[in-house]
Amino acid sequence: MREIAVSVENVSFKYPNEANYAVKNVSFYVQEGEWLAIVGHNGSGKSTIAKLLNGLLRPESGVIKIFSTELNETTIWEIRKRVGMVFQNPDNQFVGTTVQDDVAFGLENNGVPRDEMVERVDEAIRLVKMEEFLEQEPHHLSGGQKQRVAIAGIIALQPDIIILDEATSMLDPKGRNEVLETVRDLKKKQKITVISITHDLEEVVKADRVIVMNKGEVLTQGTPEEIFLLGEQLEKIGLDLPFTVKLSNELKGAGFPLTTDHLTAEGLVEELWTLYSKM
Amino acid sequence: MNSMIIGKYVPGTSIVHRMDPRSKLIMVFFYVFIVFLANNVETYAVLMIFTFSLILLSRIPLSFIIRGLKPIFLVILFTFLLHLFMTKEGELLYRLGWFEIYEQGVKQGVFISLRFLSLIIVTTLLTLTTTPIEVTDGVESLLSPLKKFNMPIHELALMMSISLRFIPTLMEETDKIMKAQTARGVDFSGGSFQERIKAIVSLLVPLFINSFKRAEELATAMEARGYRGGEGRTKFRLLTWKTADTALIVSLILLAIILFILRS
Ligand SMILES: Nc1ncnc2c1ncn2[C@@H]1O[C@H](COP(=O)(O)OP(=O)(O)OP(=O)(O)O)[C@@H](O)[C@H]1O
Ligand SMILES: [Mg+2]
Repeated sequence: MREIAVSVENVSFKYPNEANYAVKNVSFYVQEGEWLAIVGHNGSGKSTIAKLLNGLLRPESGVIKIFSTELNETTIWEIRKRVGMVFQNPDNQFVGTTVQDDVAFGLENNGVPRDEMVERVDEAIRLVKMEEFLEQEPHHLSGGQKQRVAIAGIIALQPDIIILDEATSMLDPKGRNEVLETVRDLKKKQKITVISITHDLEEVVKADRVIVMNKGEVLTQGTPEEIFLLGEQLEKIGLDLPFTVKLSNELKGAGFPLTTDHLTAEGLVEELWTLYSKM
Repeated sequence: MNSMIIGKYVPGTSIVHRMDPRSKLIMVFFYVFIVFLANNVETYAVLMIFTFSLILLSRIPLSFIIRGLKPIFLVILFTFLLHLFMTKEGELLYRLGWFEIYEQGVKQGVFISLRFLSLIIVTTLLTLTTTPIEVTDGVESLLSPLKKFNMPIHELALMMSISLRFIPTLMEETDKIMKAQTARGVDFSGGSFQERIKAIVSLLVPLFINSFKRAEELATAMEARGYRGGEGRTKFRLLTWKTADTALIVSLILLAIILFILRS
């Protein structure tokens, strides 16, 4: 039985001076080692949830637990070490003047002794394959490289959970792949739980489970297959479907006897050519 | 303007490059006072020897420094001429109508120019051989005793290092905004005074708004990574005081003593 890494129970949150709740009575859990995707329209409260999970915002009501430790004033610093966050803009989270300074930033904040710090910085930089760029300044790095440095800065703190808040949305396809590969690689090597907030459907397809947010509430959750079966319902709340899902829906509509919805191009191609050879 | 080297850093591995920023900062600070000890030919000669030894040790080509200080030479020339014409002491060397040059004038002119030159070279060597972030670390470390008096030294140093980190980012952004505004018909290169002000405003407003957004996001990211002020923080960048640093300070003291003995 896997442990529950994150549990959120009936959490509500309202920004000061705002009329509406940004997050309304939200409950969900994430298992250890799971990859959870959170999708939803702009302003549906995804980033707010992310910030609630490591105490950047405090819930108005409800309980958040990270590995059965309740998030409160006394546990907040411990939890910030265990829950790492990568934000959207690669530039606005790069604090250090060089790659290694930036990776060390979190360790410095937590008072890690220097000898240990040097080791952990080196190891983290190696894990994200940035060792060639140790002394490099941020403006010489691509967006994808900067995000990998941000990930290294979090890995150095040896977290249990990484939250990616649209961490790939400002990157080109190459950078996006770089970053996702890095996270997948890490997940294989270490028992890391990933929560990825994203508009990128490829990212959603590869997740273990998906939560759909709508106007601050959890609309539904399930496996990617289950979620994309909702089709129209998703489009109604302003979400897009992957191209392959749309195509297989259209093909079915046009009378082709496809068996399921297809999330990946390979799956669709596979079924199409076997279908063709049967005809 | 690009050849100007004051405040620039030239990467290198010379002994001066590898020195602790603290020893270099201390040196420059006291050097500013020590140069005033020189007041005759011997002392100025010693000062020049000291200055040029530092240049040699830094392995920065003299021609590079001379080229970089060209604008400064104008200022030096001006001070030289000023002293040359205004000092009316000593033997009269030359006269052309009301125009007179005295012995003391030449001497004063040369001395003041040398003093100025030496000061500029020594301070420039500091920045040429020390990265801005090292200077920041050095300043923070030297001023850290003031923390006891509740001076926000850590915060100031962090502000400095974040500014340094964001200068290139903001330059790029300025460039981007200028291009975007040019595409909308804003003319940055010409026009009347009013039009120019308008163009600058169209650049500054988005730049400021973006900077505030950046600052907010950066603060959130820092907090998410456990930042909670200077208390209990360890440092990754290490300052190590080496033999060369002690040697530098000792040679500075020697310089002061020699100047004191030789001065008239
Ligand atoms: N700092 C803030 N102050 C006041 N209101 C805010 C603040 N940040 C977000 N909101 C509001 O809270 C709601 C949820 O915002 P949130 O940023 O969590 O959405 P999101 O799902 O992350 O959207 P996006 O996809 O655009 O990132 C929105 O209505 C937004 O306007
Ligand atoms: Mg968001």
